[in-house]
Amino acid sequence: MIKYELKKIFSKTSSKIAVLLLLAIVFVICWMTVDVSYVNEKGEKETGFAAARKLRETQKEWAGDLDEERLRQVIGEIRRINATPEARSKNESENEIAYSWQQGIDDIRDLLNRSFGENYRSYDYYRADSLNAEDAALFYSNRIILLKNWLADEAKDQYTDREKEFLIGQYESLKTPIFYDYMRGWSQLFDYSPKIIMITILILGFLVAGIFSNEFAWKSDPIFFSTAYGRNKAVAAKIKAGACMVTVLYWAAMLLYSGVVLFYYGADGAACPVQVMFSGWKSFFNIQIWQEYVLMAAGGYIGCLFLSFLTMLVSSKTKSTVLAVMVPFVLIFIPSFLGNLNSPVVNKILGLLPDRLLQISAIIGAFDLYELGGKVVGAIPILLVLYSLLAILLLPVLYRDYRRKQIF
Amino acid sequence: MELKLLDVSKEFQDIAAVDHVSYSLANGVYGLLGVNGAGKTTLMRILCTLLKPTSGSVTWNGKDIFAMDGEYRKLLGYLPQDFGYYPDFTVYDYLMYIASIKGLRPAVAKRRTDALLAQVGLSNMKQKKMKKLSGGMKRRAGIVQAMLNNPRILILDEPTAGLDPNERIRFRNLISELSEERLVLLSTHIVSDIEYIANEILLMKKGRITMSGTAETLIHSMPEKVWSCEVPKAMVDSFLKRYKVANVKTVHGGARLRIISANPPAENACLETPSLEDVFLYYFGEKAGQEDDQI
Repeated sequence: MIKYELKKIFSKTSSKIAVLLLLAIVFVICWMTVDVSYVNEKGEKETGFAAARKLRETQKEWAGDLDEERLRQVIGEIRRINATPEARSKNESENEIAYSWQQGIDDIRDLLNRSFGENYRSYDYYRADSLNAEDAALFYSNRIILLKNWLADEAKDQYTDREKEFLIGQYESLKTPIFYDYMRGWSQLFDYSPKIIMITILILGFLVAGIFSNEFAWKSDPIFFSTAYGRNKAVAAKIKAGACMVTVLYWAAMLLYSGVVLFYYGADGAACPVQVMFSGWKSFFNIQIWQEYVLMAAGGYIGCLFLSFLTMLVSSKTKSTVLAVMVPFVLIFIPSFLGNLNSPVVNKILGLLPDRLLQISAIIGAFDLYELGGKVVGAIPILLVLYSLLAILLLPVLYRDYRRKQIF
Repeated sequence: MELKLLDVSKEFQDIAAVDHVSYSLANGVYGLLGVNGAGKTTLMRILCTLLKPTSGSVTWNGKDIFAMDGEYRKLLGYLPQDFGYYPDFTVYDYLMYIASIKGLRPAVAKRRTDALLAQVGLSNMKQKKMKKLSGGMKRRAGIVQAMLNNPRILILDEPTAGLDPNERIRFRNLISELSEERLVLLSTHIVSDIEYIANEILLMKKGRITMSGTAETLIHSMPEKVWSCEVPKAMVDSFLKRYKVANVKTVHGGARLRIISANPPAENACLETPSLEDVFLYYFGEKAGQEDDQI
């Protein structure tokens, strides 16, 4: 039965086009993601797979614990490069040569810029240029100080005292020195993953929207419901077919994307804490990069399942494929419009909407906090549990709704 | 083996589509005859568990069919008036899918599908897409899906509607072939179809079964007689207003009318042998013969 339900979906030309479109979009995004450049010692820009390999080799030379000694070396290297005639030259080609020496420490330079920023929200690319070797000792403490200052000043009304304590506690509990390694593959992967996940769910929504309503559109419902399994196993087969399709297509898209990006850049750095990444520096989640990947992929999958089941429920309730297909669009795009309201209450609600599940890699550095039973918890674990439960709860609702249909 | 309707009613808002129907059906072919909105389709959908009655109950061998759920539907074959299918499925895939949701094992389903396709002359259309079949072929595929599980109860809603005369005759014969050892209930507004196939005819009007019996019983039970007479052209309108006119045939200088009336409508009127169509006209009046709808 499941085989035939899938056949019903994929016998339509529009469904075949949708799957091809998904495949094409994954490849386009992969192509956008593998846009890497490496500047050689002559100051010439190289691109492509070879450039990615060279960048990897250069940055791997700086792999290791970011302790005071290593940070002193980095600051010293920045100062040394800045003092060279190539760096001081007004000739752009000369500057490129100077940059070629700095590529290996580019990521660490970004972390220095963040840690020694003027305030918590500011970022100055040239801040690292003005640091002295003695500043290296303040690298980790500065991160905490900037957070505390921000919580006491700019964000003082945004969080409760307990939430502020939680954030500071999380920052303080980060195990230092953090381990740095080349991790361009992962950071590039995380940058584009929300797009992949959102496009996948929109296409999945289109595919599952007709599973229930098409029986009515094709007028095949009287025969379907008058069969022995029409009000039990055949309904379950529809749900299983939807779940199978979501699972296969989601993981196919996600693993294809991950595979291409990590093959191109390399999967080094999986064991680094997320704080070594530019997007993860502020994160209060003290986890490693591979754990962020698991959260991101699992979040996307749970989000896809939930939104697909919801789409199927609307398809069953309204008997309309058009209305059902709108569900993922509405739930993904409406929150982005409401995000501009800048109200703490609205933000708390928005932080738990299903669109957030699809962009875990983008919200890993956000401070969406909730108090549950006197304990402060980040949004990500709540989202994962909440939508897993809701997705499971939707199944009997969907089953009951469809099996009780009366055919007038 | 008995399908029993006990005071079954189905109301849609204030309208009673089926109005306190009680009837008992056993093996044999039953023809449900009625005009627009008589409630035939609603009654059939109740018997297929597609609709729950507002009141009353339907039992199969004493058990409520809605409580029997899938067990009852295992015995059921249904061809709706508006036969819907999966347009991009091949005939074979369509039938194999229906067989699977009817609970047939794949090997049995394959055997039944092949045998039935051969019986209805669609063997060579097996790999054709459903949407590519002609109207008559779709109907035949429809009857095959209804017969896949070798049903004890076969319900056919307007099975010959929209078919050309040849296909209609072919389909009628097919239903006769398939009707052995089972309960067949078919609805139609084409009186001759029922006359040929049905053992028992149920006349349905405004949600009620007003009359039932064999064609002969119904014909003999008609309290009025059937006459034919020739009248001048100018008089035709006046006759149409005064009598139930079963047929008007233009002849030289006037028209030959077939009239249902207790008394001779004209001095030259001759007594005719009544037919089932006359009975239909008598009971259903002017609406008789119109296209049926979904009520």
